[in-house]
Amino acid sequence: MFALDNPINELNRLLIKYDLTPNQAKVYLYLSKIGIKTASEISKSLKIPRTETYHLLSTLQQKGIIFSVFGKPTKFNAVGIDESIAILVNNEKNRINELETGKTDIVKLWKTIPKYIGSKDKSEDNKFQTLQGRNSILVKLEQLVKDSTENILVLGTESDFKRFYHTNFIDLLKKTKSELKILTDSPNKSLHVFEELSHKYIKKLDDKNREDFCFIIKDDNEVLFFISNSEVKDMTAIWTDSKTFVTTLRSLFSLIWKKAHNLDETDLESLLGSDMTYEHRLREIEQEKMILNHLQKHFKLSEKIPGDKK
Amino acid sequence: MKFRTNIEKNDKDSKELNVLIIDDNEQITKMLTTFLELNNHKCIVANDGKQGLALIQENHYDVILLDLAMPEFDGYAVIESLESKGMLKNNKIIVFTASTITQEGLDELVNRGVSSYILKPIDIDLLLSKIIQSATS
Repeated sequence: MFALDNPINELNRLLIKYDLTPNQAKVYLYLSKIGIKTASEISKSLKIPRTETYHLLSTLQQKGIIFSVFGKPTKFNAVGIDESIAILVNNEKNRINELETGKTDIVKLWKTIPKYIGSKDKSEDNKFQTLQGRNSILVKLEQLVKDSTENILVLGTESDFKRFYHTNFIDLLKKTKSELKILTDSPNKSLHVFEELSHKYIKKLDDKNREDFCFIIKDDNEVLFFISNSEVKDMTAIWTDSKTFVTTLRSLFSLIWKKAHNLDETDLESLLGSDMTYEHRLREIEQEKMILNHLQKHFKLSEKIPGDKK
Repeated sequence: MKFRTNIEKNDKDSKELNVLIIDDNEQITKMLTTFLELNNHKCIVANDGKQGLALIQENHYDVILLDLAMPEFDGYAVIESLESKGMLKNNKIIVFTASTITQEGLDELVNRGVSSYILKPIDIDLLLSKIIQSATS
């Protein structure tokens, strides 16, 4: 009898990820290790009912990872593991391609069915969706950016952006044709996301606003806000198209945006403590000089000396 | 430093303009005042944003020259206050700044209702023509 030990269990578990059922994986592994066998022998060894075994063998043949050997009775053998994995991966790819192609047809068909207008669902504009984990949030974020046609407003700290570093979301943000506005705490120009974005889109959040909140608004009609984003694994967000929520967060964003300064605008703080101070002062001095020169050139001017009675 | 002139005022620009300068740089405000007065224009100076805002709310000016970088209540705060009171577009504000600001940043200010902008340093004759142009537009 074919005894399943730990590596086999592990292999079984791994093969399930490639769209095999536990019994399909069991049959495939059995054949790939033991070699050519009849359906009856497989059924007995693996203690799987004979009818089910035939069905499993048929499916595995359709998948292309086992093949039958002509004879009486028919015998079966497995394709090598490398080739089998490649076949399974390809099968999945083809399935996804087919699903993608089918999307257009489904939508087309769906549109041909008349909509029942009699009872309009009033909760239509107040949908809420809880998103848990980085992946589900990421999928929604990408969808928001992709579907946007007017504007995208993002408020989040630099750490929030780092969590989605090297993801399609960041690339989509950079490529979006919608008007993009980002409010963030201390945008590091070396950070990928801020690198290629024109600074007109990014404003600096004041320290007092650097609370642990983060949200994205799409076209003033959808919002995704984080309710827990300190740990990647516990990341939770809520998506909604509730007008009340969207309007509230939109107003909050506009308020902060108005108060915030562009990255390259000098505020007093930066004037006092950066190279900008020097540049700024130079321009001021140059302006003073230009006015003074003009006055001296066109009008007779003299500097009043204290104590001079003339 | 105080400037005196012993020649008559320049009379090439006949229409007298009422100009408010909001700038914390006293050297610039003093010299600009002298220059504008010599060109037959009235000039009021506010050396900080709050004072400037109060003057705008109480009086009418043909043109307001507004510096952006000022302590405490800066030019942005003046713009924002006027905007919130619906007074930004009623006033002809020229942002007059030495700050490093992108074209997009300047365009955004214009979109919000600022008349135009002048980046320091600028030739003084050009400044005057911009002031007149803005006042008469």
